[in-house]
Amino acid sequence: MVCMIGGVVQLDDTYLARLRRRDPETLRSVVDEQGRRLYRAARGMGYSTQEAEDLVQDVFVTFIGSLERFEGRAQVGTWLFGILHHKSQERRRTVSREELNDPIDDVFESQFDARGHWVRPPIAPDRQATAHETARAIQACLEGLSPVQRDVFQLRQVEELSAAEVCKISGQTVTHIGVLFHRARMKLRECLERKGWGRSR
Amino acid sequence: MLVATGGLAGAPLMRRLFVRMHLAMCGHCRTFRQQVDTIARAARAAGLAFERELPEDFEAKVVQRLLPLGEGGR
Repeated sequence: MVCMIGGVVQLDDTYLARLRRRDPETLRSVVDEQGRRLYRAARGMGYSTQEAEDLVQDVFVTFIGSLERFEGRAQVGTWLFGILHHKSQERRRTVSREELNDPIDDVFESQFDARGHWVRPPIAPDRQATAHETARAIQACLEGLSPVQRDVFQLRQVEELSAAEVCKISGQTVTHIGVLFHRARMKLRECLERKGWGRSR
Repeated sequence: MLVATGGLAGAPLMRRLFVRMHLAMCGHCRTFRQQVDTIARAARAAGLAFERELPEDFEAKVVQRLLPLGEGGR
């Protein structure tokens, strides 16, 4: 299935030309706009502070080297996140493959009866827990995701990229992105329920 | 399921209306929706915490490394 991105604006020729010319001001603006986003994503994908910094530098170096191939049909951000995704896979030394079946699917299914009614109702998140506490809890829970689930979760949830953009970045189908995103959220939900949704204990 | 896969926004109008009506009637599904929203907020808060780790001159350091690869270094 192809990645359909609606309403993509072709980058204007002048901007593209400045990028290809390696105009310092244009490069600076790309780094200013995307550098911290890339770092945040790399950290969310499980890299240490130093590894994430190196990875971001590496992404920009590759970006510079690939500008001749960049036709401006994708947004600069999508292109950079695509490079980040490939670099990340290289560093992991293996292409992460998602299993056809994940135990979380059974856990999720077991919450409903044959008629689709909840048999184990969800627990309401603790409204008293601060965003900081829940954020800390979620960082620990992210460790329980597979690398590919973690990448998709990071791109879809934190970077708020569309399924079509993540499809283009990762080469997975839109349907599969949905499955990975669902599994990631359900694993985090299970983990956070166990942790009392960030409540200090 | 549409809530969990993130596919609700792109679903057809009738489907979205059906989900909204169901959420209005079903307390457990509203709680589930609340859980999904909490995960989103917490994940974004965790992302902001990562950003704060970076030194102020991070961008400058990256640009410094890139400039020799630019016009003069091709």
